[in-house]
Formats: sequence, structure tokens, C-alpha cells
Amino acid sequence: MKIMGDFGGLGIFFVVTLIFPITALIPAFLLQPRHPTKQKGIPYECGVDTIGKTYVQYRIGYFLYALIFLVFDIETVFLYPWAVRFGALGLFALLEMFLFLGILGLGLWYAWKKGALSWK
Amino acid sequence: MMNFWAVSTEILILALMVAALAMDLILPKEGTRRGIAYVVISGLLATLVYTFGLYHTGPSMTFFGGLFIADNYALFFKQLFIVGMLFSVLFSMDYVEKYIESPGEFYTILMSALLGMCVMASANDLLTLFIGLELMTISFYVLVGQRMDDKDSGEASVKYLIVGAGSTAVMLYGISLVYGASGSLDFVVICRSLQMFFSIGLAGVVLVMIGFFFKLSVIPFHMWAPDVYQGAPTPITALLAMGSKAAGIAVFMRVLYTAFPLLGAYWLPVLAVFAAICMVGGNIMAIRQTDVKRMLAYSSIAQAGYMMCGIVSADIAGMKAVMFYAMLYVFANVGAFAVLTCVETMRGGTTHRHMTGLAQSAPILAAVMTISLLSMAGIPPTAGFSGKIYIFTAAVERGYLWLAFVGFVMSMISVYYYLLVAKAMYRDLTPEEEAENTAVKIPFAVRATVLLSVIATIGTGIYPELLASLTNLASQTFMR
Amino acid sequence: MMDIFSLSAVDILNWSVHIGLTHFLLLAALLFSIGLYGLLTRRGIIPTLMCVELMLNAANINLVAFNHYRPVTDFSGQLMAVFSIAVAASEVAIGIALAFRIYRERGSVNIDELNHMKG
Repeated sequence: MKIMGDFGGLGIFFVVTLIFPITALIPAFLLQPRHPTKQKGIPYECGVDTIGKTYVQYRIGYFLYALIFLVFDIETVFLYPWAVRFGALGLFALLEMFLFLGILGLGLWYAWKKGALSWK
Repeated sequence: MMNFWAVSTEILILALMVAALAMDLILPKEGTRRGIAYVVISGLLATLVYTFGLYHTGPSMTFFGGLFIADNYALFFKQLFIVGMLFSVLFSMDYVEKYIESPGEFYTILMSALLGMCVMASANDLLTLFIGLELMTISFYVLVGQRMDDKDSGEASVKYLIVGAGSTAVMLYGISLVYGASGSLDFVVICRSLQMFFSIGLAGVVLVMIGFFFKLSVIPFHMWAPDVYQGAPTPITALLAMGSKAAGIAVFMRVLYTAFPLLGAYWLPVLAVFAAICMVGGNIMAIRQTDVKRMLAYSSIAQAGYMMCGIVSADIAGMKAVMFYAMLYVFANVGAFAVLTCVETMRGGTTHRHMTGLAQSAPILAAVMTISLLSMAGIPPTAGFSGKIYIFTAAVERGYLWLAFVGFVMSMISVYYYLLVAKAMYRDLTPEEEAENTAVKIPFAVRATVLLSVIATIGTGIYPELLASLTNLASQTFMR
Repeated sequence: MMDIFSLSAVDILNWSVHIGLTHFLLLAALLFSIGLYGLLTRRGIIPTLMCVELMLNAANINLVAFNHYRPVTDFSGQLMAVFSIAVAASEVAIGIALAFRIYRERGSVNIDELNHMKG
């Protein structure tokens, strides 16, 4: 028997995952009784009525955190290949990586000192 | 073991950058940040002196398996960037104190931009080129938006970011195609790869060149330049005009000469046409500007055109001419922008109206401005004249007579709009204007900068051999 | 050309597509074009940055695909992709920071409204 191609299985999986929810949802859509009231339309929050508007903008403070997070997120891109080949690269690469982390740490210190991490 | 001497200049600049950042943290919060400027100036001066010791006649040092090369060519451009940066910091101390909210940050990012330029000059591989270019450009996105009190500064920064990021993407796509065709990012290997002649390689070269044209603000990819130059803080405009542009020219020339020389039949005519378009368009559009910063933006487009004339020559003479021209453009720019910065600090603007009466209130500044602008136009006995002679001679010798002719005519036209500024400064004042004409206090640092720049401009114009011999030395290790 | 209705279940299970360099290049070209189109038509700063990100990632796909399929001995293409990811991230970080600033100054992040300087 021929071995299935790399992406053939993925394609079938994709089709099946589409068919399952559709077969479940279509009968429900056809059979459901429709008596909409305002009470039913409000979003479910553990049974308690919602207070205020449900559409809220994120605070700008989150985005400042996101910016600082981004730096350390991307740092991983460089750390990962280094960690994989750590044994072969040796002490020199270790020192270099600490230098790299040191510069990033200095940046974090700067952001901290300038108040980018304080919640206003 | 890797040869760290090859990157010693960059290490010094990085140390300076970290020092500026650390000083900003350690100094008391409310105190002045002038100390950082002094540290940066002395550090740059030491680095400049140090780089003179790196000139060599033997084989050049490389770093990281040939990714980075420290030849005389790179060294010359590094000195050019350091000189430009040194003077920009020197003449902008008062400006920074008045307009920039966080000077410590400003100086730190200035150093990172300088680091990016130096890496670009030494790039011997598309990876190094890309990293250097991005380090410089991203630093400039921030620097352009450093004036928090000015809406134009933020606007300029956003425009620069969007155009710059788009052009980076175009260039990276081009690099990926070149990599696909040649199978390497190394300039030497790319040069030897015959597959570059396939359509995928040619498409890559075209996209890389378009990316460079955006960065060098070559017409018709220039639409960001006037707004960015106008909105940016004045010292940053100076650095964009001399540093960023020279860095772009340096690496562009190296890519064309070492990575794509076999494709010369394709890119040479294209480059010649774009050089002509730049010279004509830049000079024509500069005529109707009333803001001197914006006028200098269009003028810098024309200057890029002159330098591209030298690149089109594609030989040692052309290369030396470009290096010579880039250096004297730095001298002229330092003079002009030192005056502009001083005027903006005192009078709050850089239009012709703000320049009026400068000859009466600060004759030295008016004289320096005039000499610097004449050098940009190429009037003897300033350095601009000898620079243009070198460039156009090199172009004529390679059969680009028409290009030299266009350049010559446009230089004559450019005299007109440069003299409009001189007219604003030197014309007789009406009595009301006389009353309004405030005295201009010239700080010592600005006085020193403008005098040095004028001495360099006139000196190089009268005795060009000194700088010419340096460019000679610089070009020796390049083509072998 | 095989008639799709005459396929049996076994045929479908054995169905395989050979993914080659061309597919990756096509995907990258498509992504790049979508990004370029968006860059030229979208008016907000954030969507524009997203489009630039698409273009950069198209180049990354190219680099990694070439590195995998072409007879290249080193990993220079993948290395380049790693660095370009870092560059793209810093570009976006600055873009978002600038978007805040513009929003605070003008109450909108529409690029068309950034037209104070003319000439």
C-alpha cells in the first residue's frame, strides 16, 4: 500500500473537523424553538447580570507591557538555536549570550527606571 | 579564534552607547544631561583618532567568517560617519536641551544609529548589510520623532516608518531571491554564481536596488524625504542628509561592485538614468521651497544624484570621487545645519523669514551658511567645486558625457536657490524688521563647529590633495 | 485528468500532493502581493504595519524554503530569517509606540490625516 503523503492526512483531518460541527449544528438550527426575549439576549456571566457596557477598550498600560514583552519574546528566537547546540558551541558562546542578555537587561532596567512598568 | 580587532571601532561605539544609557540612569532625574554629551563627544573623538591607526596596506581583517570586513574603504566611511556625528552632537547641545524631552535616550539612540552605519560600511554579506541597515533605520525612526512638543515630528516619524518598513520588506524579498539564485548571501559567492543571470536572480537584483533607492530617496522613490527632513529635529535632519545617505551610498557601491559586477550591463544604464532624474528633479523641486530644511531635503536628493554619477563610472576613479564628494558634503552639511540649528534654537523656525537679517545680527553664521551652500552648489574655491570636477571627470572618461553635462547644468541651476537663502540673510531690512531683528547668541560649541567646517570646506577646495590621498589609500584595499 | 467522482475511499487515503519549492515560492509571492496591496490601500497605522509584516514573512518563507531545497551547505537562509524576525519585531514595537503618540496628539491613527506638511 502506498504511504499516504505528508499533507493528505492533514487534508482529510481538516475536512472531518469541518463536517463534525456542521452535522451537529444544522439539525439544532432546524429543530430549535425560537422565542427570543431580551433576557435571553444578554451575555452569560455565571448567571449574574452584566454591569456597564460589554465593549471595553484595553487600557493603554497593557500595550506598554506588550512592547516590553515583545523584546523578551524575540530574545527567545536567538536563545533557542543556541540552547539546542549548546554543547558544541562551548564557553565562548555562553559568554556571548550573557553579553546579549546583559544588554537586554540594561534595557529592562532603563524601562523600569523610567516608569514603564508602573501601573498608572 | 575570531579576530576582534576587526570590530574594535564598533565595540568602542557600543561601549559609548551603553555608557550614555547608564549615565542617564545614574544622573539625578532633574539634572542637566550635558555631561552625557561631553562623554559622547570625547568618546567619538578618541574613536576617530583610533581609526586612523587602522589604515593598512596588507590584506584586510575579516570577522565572523568573512561576514564583516574591515578594509580601508569601510574605515574611510566610518571616519566620515564619526566626523558627522561628532559635529552634530557638538552643535546641537543647546537645541537638545531646549527641545528634546529625554536627552539621555537621544544620545543613546544616536550612538546606535552610528553603530548601524559602521556595520553597513563593513558589510561583506547580505546578512550584515541587512542588520546594519535596519539598526540605522530603526534608530532614525525613533530619532525623527524625538520632539514631543512638535506634531510634525511625530507625523514625519510615522511617514518614515511606513515607507521605510515597506522598502525594507521589498529589499528583504529581493535578498531572498538573490539567495535563491546564487545559494549564498556572501558577496563574493554571489558574484561568482552564474545563476544570477536567471530571471529569479535578476528580479532579486531589481528588488534590492529598489530597496536602496527608497533608502537613498532617489526620485521617484523620494516622496517620504521632504516631509521627514522637515519634521525631524534639525540635528537629525543633518544626520539623515549626510550620515544615512553616505552609509547607503557606501554599502550600495560595495554591493554593486563586489556582488553584482557581472550584471553591470543591466544596472549601469538604469543607474545612469536614475542619477540624471535625481539631479534634475531634486534641483527643480528645491527652487520653490521656502523652508530651508525642506530645501536641503530636495538638495540632498540632487546630491545623491551627483554621487550616483560617480558610481556609474564603476572604476577606481569614480569610487574615489564618490568618497571625496561624500566627505566634503559632510563638511558643507555640518556648516549649514549648525547655523540652522542655532537659528531654530534662537528664533523657533528655519524658513526664509527666520533667516532674514542674520547678516546683521550674526554675521559669522550668515557667512558660514553662504559658504556651505556654495560648496553644495560647487562654486570655486570651495570643496564642492573640486568634488564635482572629480565626479564629472570620472563619468566623462567612462563615456557618460551626457550625464556629466546634465550634472553641470543642474549645478548651475542649483546656485539660484542656494543664493535665495543668502539673499534672505543679506538683504537690507525695513525699519520694522530692523526692530524685530533679535540678536543671536552663538554658543562656543557652535562657533567652533562652524569655523572648523568652513576651514575644512575652503581648505579642501584649495588643497584637495590631502583628502584625495586619503581616498586613494581607502580605495586600495577594495578592488583586488 | 482523473475523474474526481470515480475515486474510491482507498484512492483518497492514498492521495498525496508533492509539496515542492514552487509551492513555497508561490505562497510567498502571494503573501508579498497581499501585503503590498494592503500597504498601498489601508489607512490605519496598525493595519499598515500588519501588511508590512506579511511582506517580511513572505521573504522569510522564501529564505527558509531556498535553504531547504537548494543545494546549500550552510544555514545562512534560516539565519537570515531569524534576524529578520527580530528586525520585524522591533519595527512593529516602534510602530505601535508611534501609533500611541499620534493617537494622543490627534485622536486618530489615520494616515490620510497626517498631511500637515506639504510642498
